[in-house]
Amino acid sequence: MGKHVVIIGAGAGGASVAAEARRRDPSLSIVLIEQRGQVSVAA
Amino acid sequence: MPYYIGDVIREEKRLIARTPEKFRETGVDVRIDTRAEEVDEAAREVRLSDGTRLPYDILVLGTGTTPLMPGIPGEAREGVFALRQYTDALRIKAWLKQVPCRKAIIVGAGFIGMEMSEALRGRGIETVVHHRGTLPVSRWDPEFSKVVVEELQKKGVVFVTGSELKTVEEGIEHKLRLVTNHGPDEADLILMAVGVRPNAALGKQMGLPLGKSGAIRVNFSQQTEREGVYAVGDCAESFHRVSRRWVNIPLGDIANKQGRIAGANIGGGAMTFPGIVGAQSFKVFDLEVAATGLGEQEAEEAGFHPASTLVWGNAIAGSMPGNSPLGLKLIADRATGKLLGAQAVGKAGAVSRINTLSVALWAGLSLDDAGWLDLAYAPPFSGSWDPIHTAAQTLKRKL
Repeated sequence: MGKHVVIIGAGAGGASVAAEARRRDPSLSIVLIEQRGQVSVAA
Repeated sequence: MPYYIGDVIREEKRLIARTPEKFRETGVDVRIDTRAEEVDEAAREVRLSDGTRLPYDILVLGTGTTPLMPGIPGEAREGVFALRQYTDALRIKAWLKQVPCRKAIIVGAGFIGMEMSEALRGRGIETVVHHRGTLPVSRWDPEFSKVVVEELQKKGVVFVTGSELKTVEEGIEHKLRLVTNHGPDEADLILMAVGVRPNAALGKQMGLPLGKSGAIRVNFSQQTEREGVYAVGDCAESFHRVSRRWVNIPLGDIANKQGRIAGANIGGGAMTFPGIVGAQSFKVFDLEVAATGLGEQEAEEAGFHPASTLVWGNAIAGSMPGNSPLGLKLIADRATGKLLGAQAVGKAGAVSRINTLSVALWAGLSLDDAGWLDLAYAPPFSGSWDPIHTAAQTLKRKL
């Protein structure tokens, strides 16, 4: 298992981080935390 | 989101760029309805609202914005909303279905207030905008803001100026009553759209330096001052390529880009975010409104010597049917002749001009350049002299 990445907030910014980091490095362990009930929303 | 509330976008799922399930398929552990309460930097752990402690090597703050509320009694009543998050849009739309909403009040006259007035009016709801000042959308020249007011009024939106809010109470004819210095005004829905501020609470708690804007300071790689801690989107600052200052402009396109930069760097790449020029647009009924770069006051604050011109031209060739007036304002520096900013308003063609001028700002072009740009001319799209040429040459003569 690669590094542990914790992303706080799954809006446009946080969700993009998760997607791009995953694309580049499949070994990363990525957790995306969102206080609301949905992620990655078009404004 | 205003377009979802206005039923222009009908399906909820069209708002979702990527669902939690989609993320999970790629091996990203998504935890919704979960709050990050605290970051324990000594243990390198995040404490979550469900009590879990998550270890991290790399931490990313993408905590967005918090809507400002006026801070008046009754503002938490049912039927009073702010619009910042997707869940707000769902709640507003559910409320519109639940109550017979005949009338709505929007407090605030920024671009969200404008978009929402179109959305609600488009649903046949009587709409009133209460504004503290005299003219809406303060980023734009008063001459352009007046055009926006005329458009609102033409479409039946009541625009009330100089409103000082007192309370929100229960209504008699409608669900709610907003009391201002002008007296009571009733509505079935009240939308507070008085602005947002960066939500940097976690960053602040960690002692990360915040900028003048209240947003988290980052470098060009989206890293904060702390090793292994990144910040992206509305809670972070961006480098403004015109003012050469770090600013906070909470817009989704900037958040996407910063997120991709941070993600690339976390994933072993090497990328820097080149910054922004402050391009922005919105639509209110039949009007395109757009701006980029600096206004005169911002330009002065950044140490420039701004001069400006405001011209009215044609969106397309003046000889063509369907032509409409286009207002274009340019701001340039008297010291260097460089373009500093632009604003445009019109039924058509405002956004395309501002996009062109955003490229000019990005490249640091002067008025001399802008006045002679080779633009795609054909009568259905512009005159042989575009308003960009006219405005740039007019301003050049004034410097």
